[in-house]
Amino acid sequence: MKRIAIDPSKCDGCKNCALACMDSHRTDGKEGVITLNFQLPETEARNEIENDGKGGYLPMFCRHCSVPGCANSCMSGALKKDMETGHVMYDEKRCGACFMCVMNCPYGIPKPDKSGTKILKCDFCNERPEGPACVAACPKQAIWVEEVQ
Amino acid sequence: MNQCYGCETCKSADKPLESFIAGLPMETSHHRVKGQSVKCGFGLKGVCCRLCSNGPCRITPSAPRGICGATADVIVTRNFLRAVACGSGCYIHIVEKTAWNLKHTALNHGEIKGHEALKTLVEEFGIDTSLDEHGQALAIAEKVIADLYKPVWEEMELVEKMAYAPRYKKWKELGILPGGSKSEVFDGVVKCSTNLSSDPVEMLMTCLRLGISTGLYGLTLTNLLNDVMLGEPKIRLAPVGLNVIDPDYINIMITGHQHSLFTHIQNRLIDEDVVAKAKAAGAKGFKLVGCTCVGQDLQLRGAHYTDIFDGHAGNNYTSEAVLATGAIDAVLSEFNCTLPGIEPICDELKIKQICLDLVAKKANAESVEYAYEKREAQTEVIIDKVIAAYKERRGTVPMNLQPEHGNKNTLTGISEGSLKEFLGGQWKPLIDLLVSGKIKGVAGVVGCSNLTAGGHDVLTVELTRELIKRDIIVLSAGCSSGGIENCGLMTPEAAELAGDSLKEVCKSLGIAPVLNFGPCLAIGRLEMVATALAKEIGIDIPELPLVLSAPQWLEEQALADGCFGLALGLPLHLGQQPFIAGSELVVNVLTEGLKDITGGQVLVEIDPVKAADQIEAIILERRKGLNI
Amino acid sequence: MAEIYVIVGTGAAGMAAAERIRLYKKDATVIMMSIDEHSHSRCMLHKFLGGERTEEELSFVEPDFFEKNEIYWGKGQKALGLDTEKKQIRMENGYQPYDKLLIATGSVFGIPPISHFRTASNVYGFRDLSDAQKIDAAVRAKNAKHVFIVGSGLVGLDVATGLMERGVKVTVAEMAPRVMPLQTDDTAAKAYQERFEAHGARFLLGIGASDSVVNDQNEITAVVLSTGETVECDFVICAAGVRPNIQWLEDSGLAMERGITVDEYMQTSAPDVYAAGDVTGLSGVWPNAMDMGRIAASNMCGVPTKYTDRYCMKNTSNFFGLQMLTIGDINRQVEGADVYVKESKNCYKKAVVKDGVLQSILIQGDISHTGHWQYLIKSGINISELLKKKDVFDITYGDFYQLDDMGEYQYA
Repeated sequence: MKRIAIDPSKCDGCKNCALACMDSHRTDGKEGVITLNFQLPETEARNEIENDGKGGYLPMFCRHCSVPGCANSCMSGALKKDMETGHVMYDEKRCGACFMCVMNCPYGIPKPDKSGTKILKCDFCNERPEGPACVAACPKQAIWVEEVQ
Repeated sequence: MNQCYGCETCKSADKPLESFIAGLPMETSHHRVKGQSVKCGFGLKGVCCRLCSNGPCRITPSAPRGICGATADVIVTRNFLRAVACGSGCYIHIVEKTAWNLKHTALNHGEIKGHEALKTLVEEFGIDTSLDEHGQALAIAEKVIADLYKPVWEEMELVEKMAYAPRYKKWKELGILPGGSKSEVFDGVVKCSTNLSSDPVEMLMTCLRLGISTGLYGLTLTNLLNDVMLGEPKIRLAPVGLNVIDPDYINIMITGHQHSLFTHIQNRLIDEDVVAKAKAAGAKGFKLVGCTCVGQDLQLRGAHYTDIFDGHAGNNYTSEAVLATGAIDAVLSEFNCTLPGIEPICDELKIKQICLDLVAKKANAESVEYAYEKREAQTEVIIDKVIAAYKERRGTVPMNLQPEHGNKNTLTGISEGSLKEFLGGQWKPLIDLLVSGKIKGVAGVVGCSNLTAGGHDVLTVELTRELIKRDIIVLSAGCSSGGIENCGLMTPEAAELAGDSLKEVCKSLGIAPVLNFGPCLAIGRLEMVATALAKEIGIDIPELPLVLSAPQWLEEQALADGCFGLALGLPLHLGQQPFIAGSELVVNVLTEGLKDITGGQVLVEIDPVKAADQIEAIILERRKGLNI
Repeated sequence: MAEIYVIVGTGAAGMAAAERIRLYKKDATVIMMSIDEHSHSRCMLHKFLGGERTEEELSFVEPDFFEKNEIYWGKGQKALGLDTEKKQIRMENGYQPYDKLLIATGSVFGIPPISHFRTASNVYGFRDLSDAQKIDAAVRAKNAKHVFIVGSGLVGLDVATGLMERGVKVTVAEMAPRVMPLQTDDTAAKAYQERFEAHGARFLLGIGASDSVVNDQNEITAVVLSTGETVECDFVICAAGVRPNIQWLEDSGLAMERGITVDEYMQTSAPDVYAAGDVTGLSGVWPNAMDMGRIAASNMCGVPTKYTDRYCMKNTSNFFGLQMLTIGDINRQVEGADVYVKESKNCYKKAVVKDGVLQSILIQGDISHTGHWQYLIKSGINISELLKKKDVFDITYGDFYQLDDMGEYQYA
């Protein structure tokens, strides 16, 4: 499967990845960071950067785990590991917003959206051919797509 | 769940303040720290350039130059120079307005409270002593104004008169004697615009020029001109903290840096007819509540205003808490450190906001561009609006008073003049204490508070504690004073926290181990003390066992101040690095190279103990150099 | 001939097991049987009751799950008994032989011993789709205006929200002094109670039902409280606890206590018979049922796997937009423990730490980035070094951040 590999030591916390993620998942039909509306609660990234407490950064990106805690806790069938792509996909329409997945991902990746009616998590930009938007946006090559078993 | 706005407030050196803010029902800056905790590394290192439409360009190992070809060194220095020039502009604006106020006062035969201050300036500037006081004041104001408006190629006349001779010589050698202050700012911002200067070293030298102009005019002269109009600082004990707010009065919180701007309002508020108006509205009268540096200015000269000034409540990041007590009826702001974040709080608590200077217009405030010639009519309008706010809000807005916060006996009113007077009109006693080692050295702990060096005032207060423990006396100016005083370190009782010898000195003189010089403008006063000590001993400033520290510097103004310290040849400690880390060259020049240029150097250390270690090491090295 | 794998129950454990069996055994015959006509997620039942979802939309698997995995599904078939000697299940219309059997029949709701409750015709549970369908029908038939609910746990509150969606007024009786007593403390409970009450619910806390009034059609028309007050209602729902659904196994000879006794491989006392999910009495939490199902399936397929990740005192809830996560027993008084609390108008957090080890945590409000708490608590990670540097609630997975060779996260 394809996974977004991470080299935390290269990350500079610029959050270009977050902007790209917001842009890639916007629903207003527009494209490009310039027209992103930061006032809208739905403008939220699925990835995050944390401080490591020593001046460095920790990119927090869904790993699409081999044993996905999120999908294993899903009571509605909204979260499923796709056996072909290996990616843990989320079907918003099925989701019951119980947030057991939030509790059951040991890394704290899926999170309730601002409306509290669904979750936000990486969908690999819907398997678009050019790869995830965050990877393309990273100026430091701290994230890249890698084929893993 | 309770009424608190949020669970995520930052830490504060002042623990009662920390819990007060954590319990507030409204959002403050302290609530926003966590949400802004991940900083963009490019911005942090200063290697993001937004000077042209090709940008923003950012420097990375695989993209070492911007599209135009600018290297990290160029981008960092341009950004840094821009910040220093803006910061200088702020202080020059202050001295410009102050000088004009002095001129107007002189022309209108207004009150001159600082006779000694006037005399000193007359002597220093070589003013005709046959003139009467108003004539002398006018001559001084005109000299300052004339200097400020000179072109950049014309050296300012008063620099040589104010600067310590060895320093003046050094600056001349280096070619960094400033031309007209306003023009220096102008040229500074021109140099760092798109595709102009690409010489990092030349731009850094420009920063030093701006530093000298800022320090001598923006800082030193603003103090002295204000002293002439408003009276010299006098040493006394005064209350500080949120306890100073008396809900029985109509309370006006003042923020900014331009004390002389609102003198007329300050005086009118205690006139009988105005007090009668307050009484008619149900209050005992008016009180000014000190906040930010202008509050420190009022506190410093508080001996002259005991009837109108209640005391200093808090510094920049305490301002929201001051408002949240509910007992403030209006905010009069005239300059910076008036946080945008107070606006929604003022709206919520129906606090009237009036801005006296358009350069610091708040979005939801009324603007009264205060002018000397219109002052009488404007003052009446302002007073009526404040009374109207009082009537509208009292009884409808919840009170959240903190009568136990702060203390009642902070030693204030210290200046180059009052300190010398306290020492018996001479510097020798202080020098003797330094020579004998009873006082190991002097640290000027100055600058702002920020919320990111461990929290509000955290590094400032912890470093100060460390320094006094090591018998290093601390002189403070700026919002740092606001934090240190509210934490009790400026009370005579704080002597107990000092090392044995400093404790003994404090006890025998009845002083605190941290001497409060007041506002950030008074960094200029600290530097006057440094100059006086150097002159008395007969050495140059970089030889003194004296270190400057701006542990929690916040603003561009602080960077301009810092450049003055570096031009004076002082070691300058900062808790956080300015946005320069992306350029090895700039970091090297500021931390090492400068030692051979002006004698100054920047030390960056966010850990209070390690910072104190470094400061102490420099002091010990300097003592060794002086064989003491 | 292909081996026959039989799974009784199409809940979380059963479905997870079926998928796993098919993964390992491409050629086996896999048979599932369930009382319900629809495979459904019982945690979504309130959405059906509230009119938000149809029966089909309650499924937690794809519509073609059985087809795709080539599983025979006996809908509406009730297992009545088990003969472990003959390796067959007794059905209403015959016997179903098996080579390997998984019992995943979940649990059944209990009815408290209040007069008429066990005999009246209008007392319902809220465990299976059939329960929800009965309630739905009762609401329609009676044009119900008022329902009495016994129990304010997650199930009680779920059914309450479903009914409130339809404009039915609910009265919820709770023996404990607060709502959701297992997941909340007083402060957290109050926040939920206020939201329910703002939407018209009435709570009777620390109050039990002591009697009821029955009409001539054997329907309860009012419940009499321990305080003497009489509360009128159209029908009653019992949401005061469940027990493993093992009654049908009474004669099977399987070792049972509260639930079916299983070893760490999820095997029962009989050869080739396994059990998973609520029926074991080990846990009533969805992810654990899924894990048990998968682990039992692995063992049934000859891939020995132990059930080790047993931590089950964990839950999330989301009512009226207020989210909450609780791990551990937040109300247990732990001697010598430090209790940390943070509270504001939109969040409430409580953590209990003893000797540097987190015992329990409750986060109400925004529950983003809380996945690490379960790991820290169940693994007994010592956080005392971190607590010297930061507030307990500021601890995140970032404090344990590490990537393995495959680029997956792990705990450093």
